[in-house]
This record gives sequence, C-alpha cells and structure tokens, in this order.
Amino acid sequence: MKILFVDDEKDVEALFRQKFRKEIKSGEIELAFAFSGKEALNILGEENPPKFVYVFSDINMPGMSGLELLDQIKTRFPNIQVSMISAYGDSENYDRAMNSGAKGFFTKPVDFERLKTEIAEMVKNQ
Amino acid sequence: MILVNLISLFLLYYLKKSAGPQGFPENLNRYFKYGMIAAAILIALGIAKAPPEILFQLLSFVLVGGIIYLILNTPELDYQKTLAITPLPIIGVQLLEYLIKTISPAVFDILENYLDAAGFFALIWAVTMWLNHRKQMKEIEIERIISKEQERQLRNTEEQKSQLEVLVAERTSEILKQKEELQEALNDLQSTQAQLIQQEKLASLGQLTAGIAHEIKNPLNFVNNFSELSVDFLEEIGEEMAKISESPEKQNILDLLEDVKSNLVKIRHHGSRADGIVRSMLMHSRGGTGTMDPTDLNLLIREYSNLAFHGMRANPNPINVDIQLELADNLPQVKLNAEDFSRVILNLVKNAFDAMRDKINALGSDYSAKVTIRTKDLGDQILIEVEDNGPGVPDEIRDKLLMPFFTTKKGTEGTGLGLSITHDIIKSHEGKLDIESTVGEFTRFRILLPKAKP
Repeated sequence: MKILFVDDEKDVEALFRQKFRKEIKSGEIELAFAFSGKEALNILGEENPPKFVYVFSDINMPGMSGLELLDQIKTRFPNIQVSMISAYGDSENYDRAMNSGAKGFFTKPVDFERLKTEIAEMVKNQ
Repeated sequence: MILVNLISLFLLYYLKKSAGPQGFPENLNRYFKYGMIAAAILIALGIAKAPPEILFQLLSFVLVGGIIYLILNTPELDYQKTLAITPLPIIGVQLLEYLIKTISPAVFDILENYLDAAGFFALIWAVTMWLNHRKQMKEIEIERIISKEQERQLRNTEEQKSQLEVLVAERTSEILKQKEELQEALNDLQSTQAQLIQQEKLASLGQLTAGIAHEIKNPLNFVNNFSELSVDFLEEIGEEMAKISESPEKQNILDLLEDVKSNLVKIRHHGSRADGIVRSMLMHSRGGTGTMDPTDLNLLIREYSNLAFHGMRANPNPINVDIQLELADNLPQVKLNAEDFSRVILNLVKNAFDAMRDKINALGSDYSAKVTIRTKDLGDQILIEVEDNGPGVPDEIRDKLLMPFFTTKKGTEGTGLGLSITHDIIKSHEGKLDIESTVGEFTRFRILLPKAKP
C-alpha cells in the first residue's frame, strides 16, 4: 500500500521512515514524500491511476497550502484518502478540512500510535 | 430804635432757621433763644417808651453788635458772613443818630435831613445785600444738594463695585475649580493614553509570543520525536546485541549505548519541558472564550504560578524565590473563566516578585524571598491566598492599590492596571479581593470565590 506524506520540513521523511521501519521492512506499506503541494500533485500524476491510496498532508506550507492540495486531490483523484496533519489544531482549519472531504485530522506533535492504528486499519481494508 | 431790635430778632430767627440737618451746637441754640427773648423785651420796652430810654437804646446796640460779633467769630456760621454786613449801615446810621441825639440834640436838628438820607441809602444797601445773601444761600444749597447726590451716587457705585467683586470672586473660584477638574481629566487621559500605548505594545508582544511559540513548536517536535525514536532503536539494538557472543568490545559498546540512551532520555525530558512552556505561552496568548467552566483551580494555580516564575526568570533582573504551594486536597471544581482567572494568578504572583525584588535590592542576601499560594475550602466559598514576605503595603496606599492607573513602580515599569484588572476579573466571578499586610513583613492577597451552586 503506497502512502504519500506532504510536508515542507525535510526531516519529516527521516522521522516517518524510522517510525514505520518495521512496516516498511515487512512490505506492508510503501512511503513516498513530497515537500510541497505541487510536488505531491506531480508524484500522484506520474501514474494513471496512481497506486497511492493515502495522502497525509501538512496544512501550513509555502506555495500551495495543504487545504488547497486536499481540494485538488479530491477533484482529480477522488479515490485517494487524504488526512491533514497540522500544528494549528483550531476549529476553523478542522472544519474546512472535514468539509473538503478529509478523512482525518492529526495535530502536531503527531500521536504516532493513532497514526499507526489508522494506517493498519487501512491496510486491513485493502 | 425798634428797628434795630427787629433786625436783631430777625437775624436770630433767620440764623436759627438756617440750621442744616445736623443742627447747631447746644450753646449756639441757647444764644439764639436768649437773644430772641432779649430782643422781644427790648421791642416791648421801646413801644412802651419805658425809662431810662437811653439805657435800653444802648442795650439794643449792644445786642445787635453781639449778634454780628457772634456771626463773624463762630466757625459754624462762617457761610453766613454776608448776613453780618447786611444790616451794618442801618445800625451805623441808627448809632450815629443815637449818639448825636444824646450828645447834642441841636446838632441833630441840623443834620436830621442828612441822616434820613443816609438811613435811606443804608436801607437800599441792606435790601441789596439781603438779596445778594439770599442768592448766595441758594447757590450753597444747590451745591449742597449736588454734593449730596454725588455722594449718593458714589455710595451706589461703591456698593455695585463690591457686589461685582463678590461675583467676580465667585466666578474666579468656579473657573479655578473647572480648571482643576480639567487638569485632572487631562492627567487621566494622558495616563490612559500611555496605558493604551502600553497595552498596544503588550498585545503585539502577545502576538509575537504566539508566533514565536508556533515557530519553536515544529523544531521542538522533531527533537522530541527523534529522541524518542532513538530510545526505541537503542532498545532494539539491545535485543540484537544479546544475540552476539560476549567480548570486552561488546561490553564497551553496551556501556556506551547505555550512556547514549540516558542522554537521549534527558533530551526527551527537557524537550517535553520546553514543549510545556510553549503550550502555556500559546494558551495564554489565545483570546478567551468568555465562558465559565468547571475548572481544577489547583491545577490552574500550579500551571500559572510556574509560568509566572519562568517568565520572571527569563526577563531582566530575575530573582531567587521560593514558591510554596499549600493547595487543599479534594478541592471541588470551581466555575471559572480559566483564561481570565489565569491572569489573576499571573498578576498576583508577578506583583509579589516585583515587590520582593525591591526588598532584595534593599536588604541583599540576608533576605530570602518566598511566595506562598494557598487554597482552602470554606464550605460555601473557596479561599485563594497569595502571600509574599516582601516589603508590605503601607496603610495609606492600601486603598489605592486597586484603583486603575495607581502604581508604585517607577517610570514605565508599572502600568497601574495589573491589580485593577485582577480586581475586575475577581468581581466578574462574583468574588472578593482583600489585602492584608504588615509593612516590612508580608502582603497577603485574599480571594474569596463563591462555590458553584449544584
């Protein structure tokens, strides 16, 4: 199962790769990283239909924001699930994300147990 | 000779009548009275031709002479001087006639015609002088009336002037009062303006703080996450190492890994401390929702007294202070606007720090600063006490302490609003704020909050 993480912080890749080391090793999931909304759309557009089933995106990013990216993904690839990860856990961002069709909303610092459960469930449903 | 006495009578009568409103002295009036009686007797004797005629005639001349002498030599009759010379020629002619008749009746017969003529001229003279005198008297009278009127006007003016002066004094004091009021209003406005500028600064500082807190939060998350991960990895490494056969090198590696792990645990620990501070900062700078929710007061006090302490330590002139929390167990939840009430705790604790800083500066190391915060369940009320062993509050300023803009701090250090806002917040919770203090020993702020009705 391919999952794409979108965050402008490069160290997110190392962190998530280490956090999901076992899952990656066992071949349960495959991770990809994009550091902007535009890059994320490019990666998703490489294959048609894309193999990715889940996108986790930060909201506050330079250029395209996570919420814009959410709208774009929902229009172009309606089958891909999208969840938001943000440092700003205010109700305004939450409501906007949920109304735009986000599956979940995670606040930073990320609760990795919750994230792992979420992904495990997704794997099971595949 | 009756004529001379008539003149005497007339003169005396006229003088008596001419007395002004103030009258003549007593002795002068007596002279007039006796003179008039004497003149009347002489007239009667003259008509009766009672002997010795010569003596009475002589007395008549003495009387009229005395009257003229009186007029000329009395200061009160000074203005009547022309009156004295009016009958003078008549009397003179009469006296001449009398003398000639007495000394030599023969000569009198020869001179009779001349004397009659002289008598006639003397009469004309007397009439002229009389008219002249009357005219003069009238002028004096008019002058007197005019001066009286002038005096009256002067008095009126004087009266009006004093009335005006009273009015002016009244107005002046009114204006002065208004000026003072305006000055006071101006002072208030100036301090309000300074206050607004200060608040503006604080607000932007609050925004800045929130921004900084957010920016710090992301890198801090990495520190925490990576250190946590590394601890997990080290545990995995430990599991793998167990499978490797023992050797001195392995033991060395295990020791080093143990140290690395303990370091990572420390990084994680201090990282989460920093995270707590950042979260407190964010919570404080967020706008309050304004709702009263059941709140764990002890937790709020712990959190915000700690925040106040760290805030003080991070600012210029930090002090060493011992914070003692004597919080009641089983304290029920209190309905509070936590956002607002946290400011009460922050303000009171911050205030205590500022007061104690002054005492530290004054006493040096002999003094150890201490803040005690207590909570107590009083049945239907909750008591919160913030007590410091600082310099205390003198009686004369204790009442002013809660007034807006009152500050004991120098320059721009104090806004004069901290305690006023604190008081407002407590009042909005239907609570009460009391201040107990002994100068040089302690200051104790006592907050009484009503318990939420079940």
